[in-house]
Amino acid sequence: MEERLLHVFRNTPLGRETLLQSLYFCNTLGASLYIYVPKTTQFIMYFDHDAVQVDLDGSYLTAADTATEHARQLAETGGINPTFLTPKNFTASQLPDISTNFNYMCCPRSISDLSSKIGLGYIGPKVRRIVKSSTFPVLITSPSFKEWKSICVFYGGSNNANKALSWGITLSIKTGFPLDMFTYTDGRSVDYFDEQLEAAKLAHKVKRHVRTWHKISEGKFEESLYTVDYEALAVVGAYGHGLIKDFLFGSKMETIQSWLPNNMLLVGPNCTYRGA
Amino acid sequence: MSRSTLLQNAQFKWAIFRSDDRLTVIALAGFVGVCSGLAAVALNRALHFMGAAFHGFHHHWWAFLLPAGGAILSAFFLNTLLKERAGHGVPEVVYAVSRYGGLLRFRSSYSRLVSSCLTIGSGGSAGPEAPVVMSGAALGSNIAKYFALKERQRITLVGCGAAGAIGAIFNAPIAGMVFTLEVILGEWRTHNIIPIAIAAVTGTELSRLLQGNQIPFEHQQFSISLIDIGASFGVVILATVVSVSLGRLLKGMHTVASKSRLPRWLRPGVGGAAVGIIGIYLPIVLGEGYLSIQDMIQGSFSPGLVLVVIAVLAKMLATALTLGWGGSGGIFAPSLMIGSLIGLVYYRFLDWLLPTITLSSEGCFALLGMAGLISGMLQAPLTAIFLIVEITGSYEVILPLIIVSALTSTFCYYIEPASFYLRDLIEKGQYMLPGTDARVLSDLTVRELVETDYMAVPNDMLLKDFIDAIKHSNRYLFPVEDRETYRYVGMIFVDRIRPYLFDPHMHAVLMTEQVMEVAVPTVKADDELADVLNIMEHNRLSSLPVVENHRFVGMLSKSVLLDHYRKELIVQTGAG
Repeated sequence: MEERLLHVFRNTPLGRETLLQSLYFCNTLGASLYIYVPKTTQFIMYFDHDAVQVDLDGSYLTAADTATEHARQLAETGGINPTFLTPKNFTASQLPDISTNFNYMCCPRSISDLSSKIGLGYIGPKVRRIVKSSTFPVLITSPSFKEWKSICVFYGGSNNANKALSWGITLSIKTGFPLDMFTYTDGRSVDYFDEQLEAAKLAHKVKRHVRTWHKISEGKFEESLYTVDYEALAVVGAYGHGLIKDFLFGSKMETIQSWLPNNMLLVGPNCTYRGA
Repeated sequence: MSRSTLLQNAQFKWAIFRSDDRLTVIALAGFVGVCSGLAAVALNRALHFMGAAFHGFHHHWWAFLLPAGGAILSAFFLNTLLKERAGHGVPEVVYAVSRYGGLLRFRSSYSRLVSSCLTIGSGGSAGPEAPVVMSGAALGSNIAKYFALKERQRITLVGCGAAGAIGAIFNAPIAGMVFTLEVILGEWRTHNIIPIAIAAVTGTELSRLLQGNQIPFEHQQFSISLIDIGASFGVVILATVVSVSLGRLLKGMHTVASKSRLPRWLRPGVGGAAVGIIGIYLPIVLGEGYLSIQDMIQGSFSPGLVLVVIAVLAKMLATALTLGWGGSGGIFAPSLMIGSLIGLVYYRFLDWLLPTITLSSEGCFALLGMAGLISGMLQAPLTAIFLIVEITGSYEVILPLIIVSALTSTFCYYIEPASFYLRDLIEKGQYMLPGTDARVLSDLTVRELVETDYMAVPNDMLLKDFIDAIKHSNRYLFPVEDRETYRYVGMIFVDRIRPYLFDPHMHAVLMTEQVMEVAVPTVKADDELADVLNIMEHNRLSSLPVVENHRFVGMLSKSVLLDHYRKELIVQTGAG
């Protein structure tokens, strides 16, 4: 069945860039687009183990009378016939429930803060909660619309990284775009990562689908990020190991989102991989 | 014993706990009871503090501004600071249990405590019980989330939180347990009762430890005769009328407030100011009113019959103004207050009408009135019975209590089928008990049930080619697509075209579009399964095509649906 992407539309120039990114993503993957034009500044998403209330930045209610029309025009220009989401259930009169029955969700870096705060190094707390709880990956867009022509998976050997790699391979197969891998060895031997791939039964897929595997063993991690193609969609497993995983994405992920202006697909710990 | 062995043993024991759902929940129930008990004690203490702080200001001319200011601050805190929408709390808990397996936001564990403290402490006519239920339930939900419990376990812990809260605030563990099972969960199952009982007891014990083992209303001895039991039927009528009236008044006031052009932040202040003005002339309407209830039970409530009638109407209006215009609080305490007043009215009226009849005492009828109002408003007769018995210690009144509670809730049900808490949910079709059709179907989607291994055939395919296609398929339904556009155009039922299949003369003549059926209803991936089932039954079809953007996606069959239905039912009911 067709995959579905959820997009919360902001009727501003910044929102237009984000929607263009969603349109490109849907066109590239053959997914259908579901647009929610908010009528209130809050909505709530019920995942399997968490209820995330999203408090939207006030700009999401800008020019409410033209929002739907603008979104439709953009979508039609992009060759997509979108479905506009109308909430059926409400936790409170001003708090609609938004379905979580999607395959992807598109967000800017922050959904609750002022647009002026959106920039490198900052991913808002609500977006983080969504990534942490959702069963689907979250597409974090670059501030301006940028087509991505390749996929780069950040692979660190963890379970989450294996999941991210599986998603990356799936996207590569569906889009036909080349797939690269990026690994910062961080003192580990190169064999360690090969062993992790073998254990996750991904080694043969990597051999078959990965164009280049960048293994960086020297220098600082953030400096090595220059290797990542500027036109790549960065696929990253969010949330690291141990105690900090509930509070931070993980140290590598934090660095990636601080330094890389690329579009990113964040694969959270509860993402359900559907297989290539 | 070595450290690694100790660790292994600990892990093994923890695995035993985690391997049995019930053990895990029982283990956590006490903890949830403690947390919700603490929340209840904190709110109780805060209300006492605010009551004492504002007591000296009630005689000033500007005293009516106190409830207004409290309500505005409460709304500001809830809506602006925490960005949480005001409500009574209990409907949201029931909604979360019925639709989302008890998922509640963490902010709900403290938001209503503060907001209701501001509303009630400043004089608003509302009760602290519903906010504390919300708080306890949210604590239970988030504790379940922290321990990554399953949905069934989470629902039970939500119930534990509610039971612990009610048990603590009323010093009434049985009432807490019964309220949870009767109102919040709406089901009585063994695997729920034990942990909920533990939580109720734990919450109550904590309250007793911190506040002393005091029942809210001092015990009075009542002597019940047949005459009192007979007279209690009159309380039923009065309680029914008042319950229905109060429910409609609350709803009407909420409608008036929502249509008002006043800014949202000001509306609670308007309601609060109106309550304050009423309170200048009738201070009895302010706050919870427990002191006045105590007087009524003791038979020392001095105002005359006419004034008591006015007090009933004023308290109903004050409650509607507080809650309808956006104040934060519950309906428990006002129901107790109004109930005891109507009990008093009824007793004094009877006493005046039939002076020769010897009734028990007006305190007894105050209890019956309270039970009647709680039963009528909540449509929870058992909760009313146990609550009144526990908070007054008056077990001798239990027979007329049962009569009043049972009959009032029954009569109210015939007039207003839904209780005050559930009315909005039922009207919107959002009230679904676990294990019911609606709840089970709401957890399943067309998307996950659709079978996609169907072979579509083009509309201009000759019958002889179609017969070849049938040979290579094990299906008896074939969707037909337009060869050019690939749009779905119809469905072929093999069993309905047998005459053509067995007539060789037709093989080179007929095309698929000539034997297909176009009037077959289709469904979309986002359609509700309850509607899909209705379509199947109405059209007597065992399968329906799923079509998205005019493209055939797959078939949804009743047998697959019922198979998944059964599996989901087992998950929701914890059976098997």
